[in-house]
Formats: sequence, structure tokens, C-alpha cells
Amino acid sequence: MDPISYFQAIVLGLLQGVSELFPISSLGHSVVLPRILGWNIHQNDDYFLSFLVATHCATALVLLLFFIKDWARIVKGLGRSLRDRYIDPDDPYAKLGWLIVVGTIPAGLLGLLLEHPLRTLFASTQTAAIFLFVNGLMLFGAEALRRRAPVRSEESIRSDEVIARELGFRESLGIGAAQALALIPGLSRSGASMGGGLLAGLSNEEAARFAFLLATPIIGAAGLLKLPELLGSQGDHVRGQALVGAVCAGITAYLSVRFLLRFFETNRLTPFAIYCCAVGAVLSVAFALA
Amino acid sequence: MTKRPQLIIPAVVLGVVLWVIAIVYWTQDAGSLPSFFPGHSAGSTHIHFKHGLAAAIVGLGCFVFAWFQTGGDRPDRPPTS
Repeated sequence: MDPISYFQAIVLGLLQGVSELFPISSLGHSVVLPRILGWNIHQNDDYFLSFLVATHCATALVLLLFFIKDWARIVKGLGRSLRDRYIDPDDPYAKLGWLIVVGTIPAGLLGLLLEHPLRTLFASTQTAAIFLFVNGLMLFGAEALRRRAPVRSEESIRSDEVIARELGFRESLGIGAAQALALIPGLSRSGASMGGGLLAGLSNEEAARFAFLLATPIIGAAGLLKLPELLGSQGDHVRGQALVGAVCAGITAYLSVRFLLRFFETNRLTPFAIYCCAVGAVLSVAFALA
Repeated sequence: MTKRPQLIIPAVVLGVVLWVIAIVYWTQDAGSLPSFFPGHSAGSTHIHFKHGLAAAIVGLGCFVFAWFQTGGDRPDRPPTS
């Protein structure tokens, strides 16, 4: 019997695409949902990790394609700065590119060194529910402690240029390190990076945009690094399901990023904070009583 | 960004050392690593690929940092249209 059915793959894939980009913790949801539905799937099972690799790769690919024009400008900007051996403050894409590099390194290093121990340490559904509640508090805190919402006098100015102007390398390093919180099931990568962007003076829309740009290399690298596991013996019996899950994750990731960029033009993190606190609190109590 | 040319040589040396460490991690199993290396485990045949990758990334960062320090101040450029 296959360890994951095609129905489960569809549900988990759809969930992964949404929860990876919404600031509500994909790992936390992929830990608690199987328990709620009574599925015999655990986050430390080899086959489940192989399945997640495919959904991560799909999400990263969707993000890359969604921002492909930005990425082309960023790569050219990086090339210009390397050629000149100088990061021109008047070249927003060069600055943005190095902000992403600086933000990716701490998350990547912490992910490489701590992913396995943290995954083992915080494997229980009870812990994931508690951290989901903490994630809600973190989102509330980011909105409460943010600088006053910025008012942009130039309506036509591009978000990427504002991000490059507002953020310094130190802030980017901090936001990048905060992304590593996502290694703990229940805490959200995009929530941590959006919250960091708000504290650094970005608007909700700019913070979301920077969070998605920052997420692309880290999610993609995490997927690629574990791709051999999916292609090797560990992926036996789940490759078909992983492919289906990846397609579902790709579809919902695309819809999510479109929705969130519009949503944050006028809205804040507060609804997600309420959701995480409510679901985290209810599940913590329910799991404790079960 | 303030240029610090005095850091070029230390950054390059550190980058080379980190790449040597990365290669050691990739080529030696955990039991054969020097005992002061994180991840050393007597008798283990596990290869710490991720430790090596982490060292290589930081080493690459050192090289990039050194590269930027070798440049002059703001280069002359033709005005952009």
C-alpha cells in the first residue's frame, strides 16, 4: 500500500502552496492537518519529506516565474555591481540583489546546520499548535511595533526601488535570520520576513514583495538539495503522488501570491495573526485533552 | 559602502581556509574528520555534506567581500538617459 494516497497528495499539495506563502506556517499545517484528519502521516517520515521536496520545488518555481522580470533586472544589477566592484546607490536592482543575497545567507546556513535537529526536537503536533499560536503573537507584534505606515509621495515609484532605498544590509541580514524561525513547525517564514520588513519601515505590500523575493532562493535551494532523496529509493512509492502534490502546490502558490500582493495593498497582517492565534489555541487545547 | 582594502588579504585567506574545510567535509567521513571539527564522530561513515556546503557558502561570501574591496570609490559612468 502506498504511504500517501493520491487524495492525500492533492489535499497536502493544495495546502502547501497556500500555507508556504501566507504567513501561517506551511510546516505547522503539514504537521497538524494529518493528525486532525486522522491520517497516518508524520513529518519525520522519509517518504513525507520526499513528498515535501516536490511541493517546495513547485512553489519556488512559481515564485521565480511570477517575478521573472524582477529577477532578470536583479541578476543584471548583480552583474553590474560585480563588474564595477561597487554597489551604486542609484542602481536599485543591484542593491536589491545584494539585499537578497545578504538575507539568504543566514537563513541558508541556519537551515543547513539546524534543520534536522530542530525538526527532530519539535516533531510533535502539540508543539506545532503552540508555535502556531506564537506565530500569531509574532504577527500581532510586528504590526504593533512597526514604524508608522509609510506614505509614498510618488505613486509611480516601483516597489522594488522603495525596498532598495528603505532597507539596509543590516536589516536584510536580520530579516534573513528571522526566516530561519520557519525551521520550527508552527512559525512562518513569510510571516517572519514580512514582520521584519514592517519593522524596517516597509509598507505591507513592499514587505510581502520582499518576503516573496527572499523566499525564492531559499525554498528552491531547500528543494534542490533534497531532490536526490525524491529521485532515490526514499522516493519509491510516492513519486506519482509527489508530482500530483507539486502541481496542486504550484497552482495554489500562484493564486496565493497574486492574492497576497493585492491584499497587502490595503490590508495588514492582522487577519492572519487572528487566524494563527485562534487555530493555535484551539488545537493546543484539543491535542492536550486528546 | 566604505572600502576597507586592509581586509582584502584576510578575507581571501579566510575564504581559502573555508573552502579547504568544505573539501575535507565532502571527502572525509565523520569518523575520519579531525576531532576538533563539528560533526566528528568516531567510527561513523556519514559524510557531512551540509557542513561542507555551509563552509563553502561562507567562503564564497569572503571572496565576494574581498572582490568589492579591491574596487575604487564610485566609478565614473556616462550619465544615464
